[in-house]
This record gives sequence, structure tokens and C-alpha cells, in this order.
Amino acid sequence: MPVGLSVDGALGYPSPSRPFRPSRYVPVSAATTLLVGTTTLFLCFTCPWLSERFSSSIPLYNVVIFLFTLANFCMATFMDPGIFPRAEEDEDKEDDFRAPLYKTVEVRGIQVRMKWCSTCRFYRPPRCSHCSVCDNCVEEFDHHCPWVNNCIGRRNYRYFFLFLLSLTTHIMDVFGFSLLYILHHTKQLDQVDSVVTMAVMCVSGLFFVPVVGLTGFHIFLVARGRTTNEQVTGKFRGGVNPFTHGCLKNIAYVLCGSQAPRYLGRLRKPHSVQVQPPFLRPPLSEAQLEAKVLDNGIQQSKSSLEIMESQSTDADPPPPPKPEHRYPGLPHTQNEECSLLTEAPATPSLYKYRPAYSSPGKNHTASTHSSKMSRGNSMTESPSVPVTTGQPSYRSDPSLSSRGGAGCRGGGEGGRAGSGGLGGASAFGGRSYPSFTDTLLQSAAASCSSSLRSAHTAHNALGPLISEGTTSTSYKSLANQTRNGSLSYESLLTPSESPEFESAAHDTAPGAPPILGYTSPFLSAQQREGSLQACPAPLRPSPNRAFLRPTSSPPSRAPPLSPRARSLGSPPPGPAPGHTPLGKSLSYGGGVELQHRPSRSGGGTSMPNSTIKQNVANHNTHSHKPAGGVKKVTGVGGTTYGISV
Amino acid sequence: MEDVLFNLWFSRQTHSLQDLRQAAVTSKVFVQRDYTSGTICKFQTKFPAELESRMDKQQFEETIQTLNNLYAEAEKLGGRSYLEGCLACLTAYTIFLCMETHYEKVLKKIAKYIQEQNEKIYAPLGLLLTDPIERGLRVVEITIFEDRSIGSR
Repeated sequence: MPVGLSVDGALGYPSPSRPFRPSRYVPVSAATTLLVGTTTLFLCFTCPWLSERFSSSIPLYNVVIFLFTLANFCMATFMDPGIFPRAEEDEDKEDDFRAPLYKTVEVRGIQVRMKWCSTCRFYRPPRCSHCSVCDNCVEEFDHHCPWVNNCIGRRNYRYFFLFLLSLTTHIMDVFGFSLLYILHHTKQLDQVDSVVTMAVMCVSGLFFVPVVGLTGFHIFLVARGRTTNEQVTGKFRGGVNPFTHGCLKNIAYVLCGSQAPRYLGRLRKPHSVQVQPPFLRPPLSEAQLEAKVLDNGIQQSKSSLEIMESQSTDADPPPPPKPEHRYPGLPHTQNEECSLLTEAPATPSLYKYRPAYSSPGKNHTASTHSSKMSRGNSMTESPSVPVTTGQPSYRSDPSLSSRGGAGCRGGGEGGRAGSGGLGGASAFGGRSYPSFTDTLLQSAAASCSSSLRSAHTAHNALGPLISEGTTSTSYKSLANQTRNGSLSYESLLTPSESPEFESAAHDTAPGAPPILGYTSPFLSAQQREGSLQACPAPLRPSPNRAFLRPTSSPPSRAPPLSPRARSLGSPPPGPAPGHTPLGKSLSYGGGVELQHRPSRSGGGTSMPNSTIKQNVANHNTHSHKPAGGVKKVTGVGGTTYGISV
Repeated sequence: MEDVLFNLWFSRQTHSLQDLRQAAVTSKVFVQRDYTSGTICKFQTKFPAELESRMDKQQFEETIQTLNNLYAEAEKLGGRSYLEGCLACLTAYTIFLCMETHYEKVLKKIAKYIQEQNEKIYAPLGLLLTDPIERGLRVVEITIFEDRSIGSR
């Protein structure tokens, strides 16, 4: 089977309608012309004398090196770098509004974030990146090389690396032998041969420096087991690279690894297996039968039943489950993103923002349970679905979103609001979950929707909101951190409503300084900036901002927002049913930038990305304390990694 | 009398036609990649909740584990892959035009294994595994078919 030779886009599927841009072909044409042209001139004008004077093995050697360089150049140019095919629709049944932008996964003890690619419709695997030039997600994306007009990724990195090595060798050879020729023909420099040889020398000498520089850089990268993308974004600057296996093994992996298969252009064999009823069923176990008996008409899996029982003995009440925003007609399937996060290994760094929970394991089961519960509840809470439709998902924060989304990318903010608003009061132990959460969600949804819709009801809405302190800010952070960029402002209140909202805030909390945070989701950017100027009073510390203690203010990207972020970080007055203060700070610190990010379909790395990363770094660094066993490692300009100890 | 017989015959025909039709797809479960050991191709062996009533947990884990082992074999950094690389270099990669790479050979083996599993185990349970290579080795897709056994006949 031939190797996956495909000009980018030639096989049609990933980016079929890219406009033809001739400017893209200029560098690669230039490189090809220079390489082939210079070498041909060298072979024609310099080599005859060399073979006569010294040995005929010199031209032979040069030809071999040249062919090797050319072969690697062609492979790097034409080989599929490891493009992921677009995910099909059935992989992504969730509404974009609800899905978190990030999912965290643990790679060899280090937390790595997977970002949702809105173009390709899946969460990018670790080390995968979306190339904006090729408009594809590439596995182990290194960079897009204009000289070969192709992405360099998992499949063709080896050829690219060998191309660089062989090109360096070739340039050195050509330059060296040309120099030798010139030194022996100092008296005949006016001859054609000499002139051509001097030109060849100049060209090769000129390109020697950048090529050697690039080669050296890639030797360093290979030895360290990093990609160019990771190096330039500073992902592992301060930390540990989870993808390295040691210098020798890294080199071996690059040079001696098996050729990875291509994903595009594969023949899809139709299933030859006929699936017909009647189907066999496994015998039900005792516990499964019990679960069925306890079923209130709502699907409950056996494992969720166990979790329920363990939670009832917990000292701390678990949060109410988030409603799964599913269409009432659809069955409760575990779609792609859900199954990733229901995996047992808890990621400690996710839970440091929830002081009520002592152990990550409990948290995980709590959230898993809640997600399962909410999945079960989705059928019953369909009336609340339209209410929450316009509101962004709560799970905005990368690490927290995955925690919250354990099993569910789709928790609506109604449930979130409910958990924030009534989490402190929730007493799940022993109660029948479905009915409780149902009312909870309904009331929360009602409160949220009312607060969004009319200012005069903001008083009522704000009561629970202020006391629990999560909902409104969570909306803002939700908006920014969901996969659907269009939610950033459109779904938020119009500016005209905000002053009323602010006054409501004043009214309901007399004596307390206005809670700027609560106004933020309902303001446009300009309003927010204005309100910041107008109300510089520090935010009242809310229980739910427990763990926001930024040691340094967020970067200068959002200077007007930094006072708010700082005040966010004041210590809580008491225990809080902790809720995503991370999400809130993210929304503050990088609010403006965050909105723009999801709208970009994902070209590589960009500044706004680092905004979020920086903010994550900010509160990651300080919120590291509560959970034991997590070592926070932050990159200076890049992402943070929590190493579970 | 004839009408009755005709009705009986007709209903029998439609009934058997229903049997011949492929079952309707209820939902799909996606088994994600397990990145805990790095970027090697490995799928999570955690039993999805949707399959709890449909199949045996052990069987599922065994299938996924076998797949993981096969992928590990494909990606193994051994003498075989090294020789292949050397040969490719020496022939200026023209060897790829005639020879199948080691990974592709193992992928064929995997495809055969999945087919076998589908025929023997999953189809009778009303499930269908899809080769993850079709999804870029990101997920193992398990299609759950509608179980009409309850209430039919």
C-alpha cells in the first residue's frame, strides 16, 4: 500500500473549498528551484574538474546526498502530516452553547488541556493543533512550513528532519567543493566555470546560515521531545514535558518509529455484518434489578445508584446535578465528550476550587453522579429547557468545566445556578434525587431567566444570586468559555438593563459595596469598562470566590479589569459550596479577549489563547493549596500543568 | 374465509420482511482515547453506562484490551520498524510504493479482528463496533441498535 501521498486538500475531504492562492506556492517553488538549480549547476560546472583532479567518487557522493535531500524534501512536501478527518455529526450531539471549550486529561501525571476545535468538531488530542493555513487539525502538529508548503506533523516530521540534516550536509559539501575549485582556479576566475562556481558558492553560503540554524533548533527539539509549536508557545518552559521519553528514546521515536497511517482517504468498508433483532441480553445482576425497582420512571444506572448511597453519608452535601441539556426526544447516550470525563481517575487540580469537598475522588463521584442524575432528569425537566436555552453554559473554566462536565458536556446553567444558588442549602442525603433536583432546576432556571429578562425582578433573582454568588458571574464566564463563540455577548442583557441591575445589587445588599461581578454578565464590554470606572469599590467577598487569590494581577491585556480580579480574590467569610471561582476570574481577567477566542475557528496558537492561559496560571498558582498532591507547574507565557503527586 | 386466509398470509409476509430489515440505530457510544500513558494509541477500558444493560462488562474490556495490544504492537519501536526505516531511506522511499508498512499490516489485522468480534459477539447483542481508524484513531464508536425483542412477535 503506497504511503499517503496527498497534496494538502487533494483528497478533497478536509478542506475542499479553499481558494487557490498562488502566493502560497512562491516559497516552495523558490526552494525547489534553488535546490535543484544550484546543485545542477554545481554538478555540471564544478564536478567534472573535481572528478578529474581528485576522484570520481566526489560527484557520486554529491549526487547521492542530493537525491537523498530531494527525496526527503518531496516526502515532507507531499506527505499527509497526519490530518484528522472532520468528526461526523453524530459524534457531537451536544448543543454548542453548553459544551465547555476545554477538557482536561491527565497525561503521565500532568494535566493537559484539550481544546474544542470548532472547525473539525472534536476536542483536539494532546499535541494536536489546527493549522490555519491548511485548515486542518494535524496530529502532533509541529509547524506549517512555507518552504514545503505543507504542515509538519506526526507522519512527516521524520522526513522534514532528515531533509534539514541532509540539506545541511549538501550545502556544506557544495560550498566546500566549490571553494576547493575556486582556490585551484584563482588565475582563471574569468572563465565560465569559475563564474558559475562562484555563484553557486554565494548561494550556498547565503543559505547555509539559516539552514544550519533551523537544523540545530530541530536537533534540540528532537532531543527534548518537543514540537516547534510547543517550544514557541512556551508550554513547557517552566515545567515538565509529559511527552518526552528521554533524549535517546525521543531520537529513536523520530528516526526509527513506524510510519504512522494516514487518516484521510481511507476506503471505508461497509459493515458486512447484519444486525437484526432479536438480540441477546446479558442477565441482570441483583443490583441492576434493585436499581430498576427504585427507578422513578427515570433511568438510573447501577453505578449512579451506588454513588447516591455513598454521597448520602458524606458530610458535605454534593452539588445538585446540572441539568443535561438534551433534547427530550433523544436517548441518554454518552456521546464523545461525556465518555472521556467519566473515567475514574480523578484529576486533583480540578477540585482545588471546591473547598467543601475534601477529596477529589468524592468530587468526581459527586459530579459524575450529578451528571448522571441530570442525564436522567433531562426528560423531566424539558419544560425548563427552553428557559435555559439562551443562556450560556456554566462550565466555562477549562479544568472546572471538565470536572463539571464529568459525563456531560451539556449541563445547563439552570442547574449550575441552582447549585450555586442553593448548593449550600442542598441536602441530598437520603432524598429522592429526581424530584429534588427537578424543583431545584426549575427554580434556578426561573430565577436565572427572570434576572436576565427584567430588571424589576432582579431583586428577587439577586437574592439567591448574591448570597451564593455564582450565577451571574457564571453566565459571563460561560459565555466566554463555551465552544460557541457567538454567545459571547448576544445572549447577555442589553446595556440598558444594567444600571437597573446595579441598583438592584445595591438595594439587596445594603451597606455592602456593589458587587461588580454581578453586573458583568449583563453588560457589554463598554458598559463594563464604564461601570468599573464608576464603581471602583472592591467587590464584596463572596463565599463562592473562595479560592481566587491572584498573587499577581492579570496581565496588562485587560488593565481595567484587574482591580476586579484582585478584589475577587479576597478570602471568603465562610465555607462556601464552592463554585467555579476560576470561571469567574477567567471571565474577568480575560473577559474581552475571551469572547473573541471561540469565534476563531482555531488557527494555531494566538495571543488570546495565552490570555486565558495566563489567567489560568494566575489562579492556578494560588489555588493550588487546598488539594493535596497537586504540584502546579506554570509556563511563563503558556499553559499550566498540574502534576499530581 | 378467503379474506381471512389472505390476511394471514399478508401479515406473515410483512412480519418476515420486518425480520429481514436491518435494525434501527438507537444511539452511539464513543469510547475515548486513554492518554494517561502518553500519545500512544490506547482506548479507555471503562465500561460505558449505556452498554450496561446490553452486554457483559468483561467482554467489552477484553475487546478493548485486545485492540490496545494490537495498536501497541503497531507502534512498537523495535527492530522491525527500524529496518523498515533504513530500507526506506536506502531506496529513497520508493519502497513505499510496493511494500506495506508495518503499521498498515497491523491495521488490517485490527480490521479483521473487529469484523470477527462484530460477527460473533456484538451483532447478536444488537451492537456494532466501528473501526477507530475511520475516526482518525480518536474514538471507538459503538452503535446501539433498537431492541425490538420486547413486544415483538
